[in-house]
Amino acid sequence: MSFALTSFKKDIARWRQDYMAVIIWLAIPLMIGGLITTLMGSDVKPHGTLLLVDEDQTFLSELIVSAYSAGELGELLSVEKTDFDEGFQRVNDGEASGLLVIPKGFAQAFLESEPVTLTLRTNPSQTILPGIITNVTEILLDAGFYAHQLFGDEIETFTSMTDNPSDAQVAAIAVAIQNKFESVAPKLYPPVIEIEIVEPPQQEPRPPLALLFMPGIILMAVVFSANGLAGDFWREREQGTLRRLVFTPARMSEFLVGKALAAAAIISFVGGFTLLLGFLYHGIAFARLPSSLAWIALSGIALFAWFGVLQMLFSNQKTASVFSMMLVFPLLMAGGSFFPLAVLPGWIAAIGRVAPNGFMADRLTTEITASSAWSIDAMSWATVILAATVGLSICAWRLRAGFART
Amino acid sequence: MPQSDTVLFTTMLTVKELSKNYGDFVAVDRISFSADKGSVFGLLGPNGAGKSTAINCIAGLLKPTSGHAAVAGHDVVSDGKAARQNLGVVPQELALYEDLPAIENLRYWGKAYGLGGKALEDRVTEVLEYIGLNDRAKDVPKEFSGGMKRRLNFGCGIVHRPPVILLDEPTVGVDPQSRARLFDMVEAERDAGACIVYTTHYMEEAERLCDSLAIIDHGKLIAKGSVDELRAKLGARDVLQLSGHFPVEPTKQAISALVERGNADLEFLAQEEDSITLTLSNASQHLPTIFDAVAGTGGSVSETNLRSPNLETLFLLLTGTELRE
Repeated sequence: MSFALTSFKKDIARWRQDYMAVIIWLAIPLMIGGLITTLMGSDVKPHGTLLLVDEDQTFLSELIVSAYSAGELGELLSVEKTDFDEGFQRVNDGEASGLLVIPKGFAQAFLESEPVTLTLRTNPSQTILPGIITNVTEILLDAGFYAHQLFGDEIETFTSMTDNPSDAQVAAIAVAIQNKFESVAPKLYPPVIEIEIVEPPQQEPRPPLALLFMPGIILMAVVFSANGLAGDFWREREQGTLRRLVFTPARMSEFLVGKALAAAAIISFVGGFTLLLGFLYHGIAFARLPSSLAWIALSGIALFAWFGVLQMLFSNQKTASVFSMMLVFPLLMAGGSFFPLAVLPGWIAAIGRVAPNGFMADRLTTEITASSAWSIDAMSWATVILAATVGLSICAWRLRAGFART
Repeated sequence: MPQSDTVLFTTMLTVKELSKNYGDFVAVDRISFSADKGSVFGLLGPNGAGKSTAINCIAGLLKPTSGHAAVAGHDVVSDGKAARQNLGVVPQELALYEDLPAIENLRYWGKAYGLGGKALEDRVTEVLEYIGLNDRAKDVPKEFSGGMKRRLNFGCGIVHRPPVILLDEPTVGVDPQSRARLFDMVEAERDAGACIVYTTHYMEEAERLCDSLAIIDHGKLIAKGSVDELRAKLGARDVLQLSGHFPVEPTKQAISALVERGNADLEFLAQEEDSITLTLSNASQHLPTIFDAVAGTGGSVSETNLRSPNLETLFLLLTGTELRE
């Protein structure tokens, strides 16, 4: 097998000369992956700023301010108090999602059921967060109306208290509110509408979308590399070196093994680089890197072998090149390089998993998202090894049968 | 290594009744020849005559339809690996890795023939010196001139010191300086004991280099022997080619009459409507007689081409057609 090593070294040396091709195989998937990851934003929740001008400075206006900061709403919005001019300017400059103005006399008007106007100015360049702020404000006003209907006296008493009400005063209001609850309770319970809360079945938490894109992007790099490397059969034929090899006592099978090993090394470099970036970006445990890399290398050999078979079916280099490129993009589309199989409808995903690169990307997804390394099942490894072996055998037969001799 | 096999043989290449058919088309038709150690054997013929097909059968690229060929005693079909080990092929088209440095090309092809280690490195250094590329050893062939590529192509074919070297039209498209250098290399290999088979359609190359040769046309071997033997077939006759207008039958009769009148070595080679080709001794002295004979038939001569005997005119004599048609 020493000539296999010679053939391997020769191809590595040649591809080092043609490093621009390798860079292109690497750059296109990285560029697409980078764009997708940026657009998907790694599942980061949107966050905005609500500017609040509190001209009333009362207990009730404070309640509104605190309502926007409570619970899950507080994760979406940061509430900043400001004065009107600055707030107006910042919303106009697009620095905040909305500006809410609570006018002076708001609490008094509320307690006396007088008309009062809250002014909400939203950022027109945003859609989701201003919508949330508008809805929340309307809910708060509705809640305020019903609270006033039920507990108007207690609220008025509470707001008229000094800054440090006595325990007795607080207890008196609490008792009054409790009494009102008890008086209305028979009207509220049992509720006329029964609500049954059905818990959805427990599901494994789905990995972030950007992570699901990663295997498809890596397989894109592998497919580009494998296709480009397989084109070398034609380059060797065109420059007469395949034919010259037939004149020598060297075995064609050793030549092919060397070529496949060189392809595996280059694909491992291209795929490994994208894999490493993905691991670093998504914080995937490095314990899974060797198994993922092994899967990529093996998949790369299988793809290289079958692209080689395809190349050698045609009667000239141009036709072979055009046809293989025509095949690459539908393959990438079907195999989940542009849309992860996990987010596609079931039947489309099923088709995608039958595509060679889809099958490979699907297993790579398993490897990087499963609870432990080496999670790809033995049958999948065997399938890829078989595909590589059969593909290379057909390549060897085609080389001996005529491709190298003409 | 090959040398141990080859010292036993004087005849290094034997071709017997070799044929190659493509369906009904006979590319090579039962040709036989042999070539000896320390000699250059020329295989001559026009383009498409079957030279390359014959070479490819000998080199193991094509399987002969019938007959056989042996290199250093090894049959190219039944003992192909040993035959190929003893053979160096310099193909007509360049067969190099354009993106691999010259020295790496030589190493690669050396290893393809089983060389390795110090023997390979020493031989690669020697060949680089020999082909005049030692100062460009680390450059890639795509940066080379056509002549330099040809020399490297030659070097890759002889890197394993083959006892038999097949050179298939090695000077096609080569500038005169590189051609002269290639001739020197061929002669050096011959002097070192190699048996060289040299195909060409340039008769002057064959006359300069070849010790013996065979002429092939339409797949058939039409003449073989040493250059002197083949020249002797022509005798000392010149080839006279006349262009103009020549009525077919009257011209033939007129030429026959000239033969009967004492021009015994005058021979009619070919006739077309606008040309006739004759061969005879001292043709320049007989021109007035021939012109008179042509004029007597109602024909006319517009151009005269007189060539002294060489392999090219021998080909014309044998086939009635020009070598480079």
